[in-house]
Amino acid sequence: MSDAILLEATDITKTFGGVRAVDSVSIAVREGMIHALIGPNGAGKTTFFNAISGFTFPDAGRVTFRGTDVTRTLNWRRIVMGMGRTFQTPSVFPELTVDENIRLGVRAHAKQAFRLRSPSGEAAAAVDARVDELLGFVNLTAQRERLVAELAHGSQRLCEIAMSLSTEPVLVLLDEPMAGLAEAETERIVGVIRDLRERLGLTVFFVEHNMRVVLSLAEHITVLDRGKLLAEGSPQEIAANDEVRRAYLGHEVLARG
Amino acid sequence: MSGRRELLVFAAAAILFACGPLISPFIHVDLSILSEVLVTTLAVLSVNLLLGYTGLPAFGNAAYFGLGTYGAALSVTYLHVDLITAILVGALAAVIGALILGPFLLRRRGIYFGLLSIAFGQVFYFIAYRYTDVTGGEDGMQFPRPPFGPGIAHVAINGLQFYYLAFVVFLIAMIAFHVIVRSPFGRTLIAIRQNEARVRYLGLDTDRFIFVALLISALMAGISGAMFGLLINFAYPLELDWHQSGNFVLMMILGGAGTIWGSVVGALIYVIGKDIISTITPLWQIFLGALFVACVLGFPRGIVGSLGSLVRRGAPVSEDVSANEAFDANAPVEVGRGV
Repeated sequence: MSDAILLEATDITKTFGGVRAVDSVSIAVREGMIHALIGPNGAGKTTFFNAISGFTFPDAGRVTFRGTDVTRTLNWRRIVMGMGRTFQTPSVFPELTVDENIRLGVRAHAKQAFRLRSPSGEAAAAVDARVDELLGFVNLTAQRERLVAELAHGSQRLCEIAMSLSTEPVLVLLDEPMAGLAEAETERIVGVIRDLRERLGLTVFFVEHNMRVVLSLAEHITVLDRGKLLAEGSPQEIAANDEVRRAYLGHEVLARG
Repeated sequence: MSGRRELLVFAAAAILFACGPLISPFIHVDLSILSEVLVTTLAVLSVNLLLGYTGLPAFGNAAYFGLGTYGAALSVTYLHVDLITAILVGALAAVIGALILGPFLLRRRGIYFGLLSIAFGQVFYFIAYRYTDVTGGEDGMQFPRPPFGPGIAHVAINGLQFYYLAFVVFLIAMIAFHVIVRSPFGRTLIAIRQNEARVRYLGLDTDRFIFVALLISALMAGISGAMFGLLINFAYPLELDWHQSGNFVLMMILGGAGTIWGSVVGALIYVIGKDIISTITPLWQIFLGALFVACVLGFPRGIVGSLGSLVRRGAPVSEDVSANEAFDANAPVEVGRGV
């Protein structure tokens, strides 16, 4: 783990009509960290996430990624630069198989997506090997030939994580990876997120509601409330922060955490 | 469809169409109508690529079709070019049209893409309609069918020869279309239909894919339009009109969106149906309209799409659906997905 800053957002502001969804928020995601973004409903987490991943552009502020200003960089270019992202509702290709979902990303990364002929020989073998590897990583090898639409919610999410890894990112942005999951599925995803860092050495920045998960998984937490930065620090610091308790957590949750 | 079965279907269709001149007297359909089926199929495929495969409401493809017709008509009338050159000029006119419109169309998705397509198409319609000195305006322009090629001057080609020319172009277009939709490029188009945001988040510039798809679509529609003009030796503004775009969409839905054979079946039923019913009653459009409504309500996947589902349901269920099968470009889709 190094102290280098991988992603830095400075004074990000985004308004919708008269509503300041995100108001001058700054964060720095350090390389090798598992960094969480939390806050009550409507705090602006997803809006902020969209601004840093290029889903929308901020009205004001600056985003740098790997030292380059990407504030106005198109989302697909950010992916090429090394960002990966998942969405609150798994964003997949429902009518394709798990294998093909992941293969599309691997092909995109191998610059084969624009071709009129399927690659053969070594290039094809390299793609196959990478698809196998990613399927193994998220433990979906047995379901590779199933249509994604037929999978359970948790498996769809795993498929989406594998897709976001298929483009070889250094930073993975996960938008509420546990939303709508049962306990067992949550455990699976928690394991995968840990592996992202431990086994693949990636940096993870994620939005999450499940406080137990956040406190056990994150090494650094940023708290938003009503569009503003409320607090920042280690899980212990956040758990002990009175303002955070008042705004969001409640004593009971913290006691359990 | 497995590769082998697909090859069989293709061979059967090729043989059937190759025997068109022999079959036409028996089914009381003029050979020129069969030529029209072959030529129209290209225009339906052009809509299919954008709408059926990529999920973009291509409601203005008559623009490229009409540019093809007028490209051929004007080059034959004023430059006295041969037949092959006229087709190439028509195709080129359509592609240039798409090159100009593309950057504007790419800025919108969904229904706004469809509305923009219609609006741009109408611009060409009004140009053809108003520019009477050159295009003949509302009356259209009649022109002779030119000799076949540069080396074969003044060899006029008759209906039979034109049919086989259309047949060869049809075969090439079908093979090319098959290659395109099965290629990594074509699969990415299908992925765009299902979830464009995700394709972008795989690091792909979807605008680039859509632009190329638009150019291919315009090329096919342009060839179709040029050949249609040369078939009937006539160009008229209604070929550019949005009704014409609607007809192509109707044929595609009738046959089945997102299936290659759907476009053939759609064109076949529409063109021959129109020919037969219009001899019985001038209100033939009512029947086609009813057929369309029945199709959308009863079998929204179109004839080929619905048949495909039936065949699959009837076949023994295989545990191991291959990736290609599930990613089958011919798999039926509902129009509007991803829009």
